Amino acid sequence: MSQLGKIADSVDRYNRFVAAEVARARSDRKFAAELRARWAALRASVTMTRSPTGTPLPRLALPDTDEPGAIAEYLFGQGFPGQFPYATAAYREMYLDHETGTGEEPMRLFAGLGLAEDTNARFKYLSRHQKSLRLSTAFDGPTLYGLDSDHAGVLGKVGEGGVAIDTVEDMGRLFAGFDLTRKDASVSMTMNAPAPVILAMFIAAAKRRFGAGCVPNLRGTIQADMLKEVQAQNEVIFPVDASLRFLCDMIEWCVPNMPRWYPVSISGYHIAEAGATPVQQAAFTLSNGFTYAGLLQARGADINAFGPRLSFFLDCSLDVEYLVLGRVCRRIWAIGLRDVFGAGPKAQILKLHTQTSGRSLIAAEFQNNLTRTAVELMLAYMNYTNSCHSNSADEPFTTPTEKYALLASHGQSILLEESGLFKHTMNLFGGAPGLLALERQVEQRILSVFREMDTLGGVIAAMEQRYQRSQIQESGHRIETQIYSGERPVIGLNKYVSDEPMPSVPLARTSPKKQRLQVERLRAFKRRHAKTAPAALQRLAHVARGGGNVFAELVDTVEVCSLGQITACLADVVGKFRPMV
Amino acid sequence: MAVALNPRRAAHPARAPRVPLRILTAVPICDGHDSAVTTINIELARHGIEVIYLGYHQSVSAIARAAVQEDVNVVGLSSYNGGHIIFFKEVADQLRHSGNGDIPVFGGGGGTITKADERIMRRQGTDRIFFAGTPLKDIMTIIQRDYARTAKPNAKFKGDRSLARAITLVEQNLSARRPPRVIPARRQGRGFVVGIAGPGGAGKSTLIDELTSRFLRQHPTGRIAILANDPSHPDTGGAILGDRVSAIYAQDDRVFFRSLATRGSLTGLSAATPAAIGILQQSGEFDLILVESVGVGQESDPFGSFGQSRRLTDAVLFVLAPHYGGLIQLQKIALLNGADLVALNKCDHPMARTAQAEIQARLNQNGRGQVLHSTTAARHFDPGVDALFAAIQALGSARGRTGGAR
Ligand code: B12
Ligand SMILES: Nc1nc2c(ncn2[C@@H]2O[C@H](COP(=O)(O)OP(=O)(O)OP(=O)(O)O)[C@@H](O)[C@H]2O)c(=O)[nH]1
Ligand SMILES: [Mg+2]
Repeated sequence: MSQLGKIADSVDRYNRFVAAEVARARSDRKFAAELRARWAALRASVTMTRSPTGTPLPRLALPDTDEPGAIAEYLFGQGFPGQFPYATAAYREMYLDHETGTGEEPMRLFAGLGLAEDTNARFKYLSRHQKSLRLSTAFDGPTLYGLDSDHAGVLGKVGEGGVAIDTVEDMGRLFAGFDLTRKDASVSMTMNAPAPVILAMFIAAAKRRFGAGCVPNLRGTIQADMLKEVQAQNEVIFPVDASLRFLCDMIEWCVPNMPRWYPVSISGYHIAEAGATPVQQAAFTLSNGFTYAGLLQARGADINAFGPRLSFFLDCSLDVEYLVLGRVCRRIWAIGLRDVFGAGPKAQILKLHTQTSGRSLIAAEFQNNLTRTAVELMLAYMNYTNSCHSNSADEPFTTPTEKYALLASHGQSILLEESGLFKHTMNLFGGAPGLLALERQVEQRILSVFREMDTLGGVIAAMEQRYQRSQIQESGHRIETQIYSGERPVIGLNKYVSDEPMPSVPLARTSPKKQRLQVERLRAFKRRHAKTAPAALQRLAHVARGGGNVFAELVDTVEVCSLGQITACLADVVGKFRPMV
Repeated sequence: MAVALNPRRAAHPARAPRVPLRILTAVPICDGHDSAVTTINIELARHGIEVIYLGYHQSVSAIARAAVQEDVNVVGLSSYNGGHIIFFKEVADQLRHSGNGDIPVFGGGGGTITKADERIMRRQGTDRIFFAGTPLKDIMTIIQRDYARTAKPNAKFKGDRSLARAITLVEQNLSARRPPRVIPARRQGRGFVVGIAGPGGAGKSTLIDELTSRFLRQHPTGRIAILANDPSHPDTGGAILGDRVSAIYAQDDRVFFRSLATRGSLTGLSAATPAAIGILQQSGEFDLILVESVGVGQESDPFGSFGQSRRLTDAVLFVLAPHYGGLIQLQKIALLNGADLVALNKCDHPMARTAQAEIQARLNQNGRGQVLHSTTAARHFDPGVDALFAAIQALGSARGRTGGAR
């Protein structure tokens, strides 16, 4: 049955272990001496730096103590940054010395609009100031649902809310002019049900430009997390088992062939934005992650090979739990993977991308959204997220326009580069009594959701019973009723409301002319490949029917077939997803 | 802020029972933003409204078809992924062109629908937009004030809408405690009527959808009708009728799908069901009519398999899942005696093997030669469902109805 009960137990067991080690540190002299020596060495490894006004600072803040119990509490309970159980951080140093040129920027801005060339231009605009190349792609509705731009009734959605991609040629245009083989280049794609097709197009387009040998160098992330699609984001095309199979095929192909690629980003963002509480977000996301780990192990994959290629994506909103959510998630993941899945250190680390909350941003007096995002950024970075997207203030109205996208990007620069909060000293806040108390509460509440899902038979069984969906919907409804009853203050909406009329904000919409251009391009592609496409689709269907690795085949199929053609072909083989309320 | 509710009604809550408003809600194609619409659905049901929810990623024609078959007071769209100006227009146009322009279309999409958009949309047939920040209470008040209408017979309605309106009139008269205007005539016609009962969550709806797909594949021209009963909320009288969300094969003009809220009836069926079956039968349109009851208990008999009175349907299919409890519980399920067809669904479940043997033994006791069908409705192309469909057709021919087999 499900592993969730075992995982919850393993975290409790680990907490008892920490308590026992603390007691031992206080009673066992030899152990106390060992800890003190280790502590002294760790402290000695911390070098000093200076703030611009001359204040001497350590590059890493550690609890100011020599008491063995407190040392044990910190080392086992929280973990030295980069060490088990990783509550403090995934790595020893993060965000420091931005100007001096070490490390890559954590900033990663999600962008997509119009046709490929429009998004390409936006990418260039946003990456102007970046040292490393970090691109993140938003796709339009038809692409997210695996439909071609010429599908009946979708023309109005082409290029809206993201970029329209139908073919490998669009993919080529999308990244034109960027050297994707650079060591510090990384491309992220928010793509789910059709993820295998889109990643195959990405690979095919890269091969056309950089030669077949480029594939192992390609670096980035594709979201592809189908469990949260069923639970929250609603982009599911094929039945659940087929969706999971296509995903696992892709992961298994990527692990050896694209060692720098993250073939799945296990996402809580959509769960939270659909209305879930922070605890529900963390519990559903982590449990989805454990489910993937279990599925891949059951297919015979090695946890130490694929584990390090799993990545995570959380929302950060204004609720107080967000102060610690990333920390708590890293800790539960590490303990679960080590103690239940038998994973080694590399696979235990939860690598985290965070996005500030879109749902917290509102239309009324929308300039306040800048402040909301700033607060959320602060919380996200306090959790030592590995990368971060900040939303634009015009979020409620439109795909961000240049002006607000730039302000959002500057928000991160102001926090990380202009302010001294994260620049000089790692871990300025960790270990504060408030944080610790919150961490314990949040962790326990996550574990109790695990146990509840365990009694339902685990994540997939719970999903079939609509458990996650109904929980999320209920919470979403509660938020809205709290807002409109005034219980949840929202400045400018239910508190300190001014009479300002609804502002008229510039919109980034795609013109009908462009939408038609996309259709023409697609049709030309289909005409050119009319002779070869049917055979390619037949081969794909054959592999899909026979149970072979569909992804390996897709890398060839995309050379001559469009996204919509491929989706239809696969749906013929495996059928369609039956959605739930 | 809030608009006052009809004061007379508020002062006399026990006055004539209210006929619930029926609203169809949906999210447009290539859009999965359903958080707003699910919140609105919950809120509408709390206010005594019957919500027929179609789901997200829905095409113009699926929305128009559902609006017609469900004969709703209004269609509510929740759109976030852009293209709303065209999409709302196309829904309104399609309704108008099919002679159903009396069904208004409204909706929202937070900040993505601007004031300027709204002006265009109103000109192009959209009734109203609820902008970002509109309090839920105001939305409810406006809907109850502006969209509650008494349904009247309308000779201009054609096709599915005229069937749908006939059913609405029956429902409405029953709710108003008036004797039904349409007296269910003797059931006649060629359509084979199958009632489907079984415990809550056994997979009745999923099975019906899979049977629908078999029907459509095997009968390239015939039509099938589905009456889906779901419970009304006992306190508010509202309901979220969500069966259409999962009915992926019902998105076809050859399928007539109608959701019925029980409106206080405790038999497992809306009191309008008998008349609705009569209406569908008399139309002569349908080869197969499937009627789903709400989840039933051990003693229930929604389709009158035992009583003295005429049976409501030609045949009864009882569906259960492996989690029925044990042998003792099995003994107590009355419909296992009365049903013409019995399906054990969720045969992908590990408990299914034991269940199969236990249920078959139980059926053998009846001495009626009942065969147990083992199905996994959640899987497409399941051979067990194929066999069940064939059995339904065979039974239909044996009873002198087409059952689709022409
Ligand atoms: C929540 C959210 C999500 C969640 C959705 C979860 C879910 N299951 O619903 C997640 C994270 C999954 C998501 C994903 C995406 N999103 Co989004 N999302 C939002 C967000 C933040 C809030 C929308 C919301 O639900 N608000 C809560 C509701 C209750 O309030 P409201 O919108 O103000 O609505 C009020 C009224 O309008 C009214 N109302 C609304 N609908 C209806 C219907 C009826 C019948 C009635 C009576 C009333 C009514 O009720 C409310 C109360 O007053 C908006 C931005 C924003 N801040 O508004 C972006 C936004 C809508 N998303 C956007 C985009 C682009 C996407 C993606 C396409 C991104 C991508 N490329 O991958 C995906 C697509 C997902 C999909 N499957 O379609 C864009 C759309 C841009 C555009 N149209 O130009 C927005 C505007 C953000 C942005 N600026 O980029 N999103
Ligand atoms: N594993 C499995 N799940 C199934 C099967 N058939 C249906 N389900 C799931 O069981 C749940 C309930 O299915 P429904 O078809 O809604 O059941 P129902 O009997 O119509 O339910 P009510 O109308 O609420 O009484 C859904 O989540 C289905 O996906 C099956 O064969 N196997
Ligand atoms: Mg049902």
